[in-house]
Amino acid sequence: MKEQQNPKARVDCLSREFGDETLVYDKQRNVGHCLNSTAAAAWKLCDGNRSTSEVAGILTQQLSAPVDESLVRLAVEELAKARLLVEPEAPRRRTSRRDVIRTLGIAGAIALPLVTSLVAPTPARAASCLKNGQPCGSNAQCCSGKCGTGGHCGA
Amino acid sequence: MNILYEDNVRIARDTDLDQVLAALETDLHRYTAEAAPSMTFLHAGVVGWQGRAILIPGRSLSGKTTLVREMLRLGATFYSDEFAVVDDFGMVHPFSRPLGIREDSTFAQTKYSAETFGAASGEKPLPLGTVVLCKYKAGARWNPASLSPGLGALELMGNSIAVRTEPQHTLRRIQELVKGVVFLKGARGEACESAASILNIATTDIGRETE
Repeated sequence: MKEQQNPKARVDCLSREFGDETLVYDKQRNVGHCLNSTAAAAWKLCDGNRSTSEVAGILTQQLSAPVDESLVRLAVEELAKARLLVEPEAPRRRTSRRDVIRTLGIAGAIALPLVTSLVAPTPARAASCLKNGQPCGSNAQCCSGKCGTGGHCGA
Repeated sequence: MNILYEDNVRIARDTDLDQVLAALETDLHRYTAEAAPSMTFLHAGVVGWQGRAILIPGRSLSGKTTLVREMLRLGATFYSDEFAVVDDFGMVHPFSRPLGIREDSTFAQTKYSAETFGAASGEKPLPLGTVVLCKYKAGARWNPASLSPGLGALELMGNSIAVRTEPQHTLRRIQELVKGVVFLKGARGEACESAASILNIATTDIGRETE
């Protein structure tokens, strides 16, 4: 069985900070992700050289609060699910959110890592649509989502 | 028969020229929003209120025009019912055209000028004050929750026209745009009630900032 690899953040994504959160844009998949403070801090430390326990140690210093390794493992899992890490050769061990809460207690000093994702719209989807009865060329143009065979948007 | 093509793709075909011209207008707006190099276009309604912009992001049929109309009736300045146009400094520019109000459930729109509702149209760019993320729900009471800047920025990204082609510029401008901004999210009932509440909240926030 292959040895568990250290987590490595993808470097081909764009990122911007908003307070203690980080917005990451995946250009390959056209998906935006909002990383909360814990997920963002972990993501920045995942360089492929540090183990999850080493990341936990650095976070403990950075945040001036004890950070359990299970919290970092959970962050890595969230980041991997969002495809923000370089894919490992061997599957990662799953960490249960419930187990982490049990380990840390409900009122942990550090927020649980959270990644919220949103698919970026195509220009046609983001822009206004055509009303019923208006001439159309494709379903995407119509508010109703239906461009009829006669070339008009319909219900 | 009137036929509209974009290169070799047929956009519209109709015996009624006005219908085809309406399709041309929609397509030109989309093209402008997508191709403008120095601005980021977000699909949103915008009004000016006490020197700041209030943004209501949302796709078609999300009720943003109705909310904009009610805010105009309450004294806000009209900026757009279609796009928030954001520059490199995070300032919001007007994109005024007549408001397209849907009078019934058939999607048919009637165009009204801002003056119809007793409002002026904004001419100068404004800094952003409040972002309102809401959906109409019959009978709902407007009781919004605040949203963190990161999640709010993600929502704005989801309403950006050119994020796929210009992600770097889009994120940078959104970052500038949302500095010190209040994000409100929730279901709203009738527009007249929520519009008054939004303007009240915006007033309070501006007051707090200037103290």
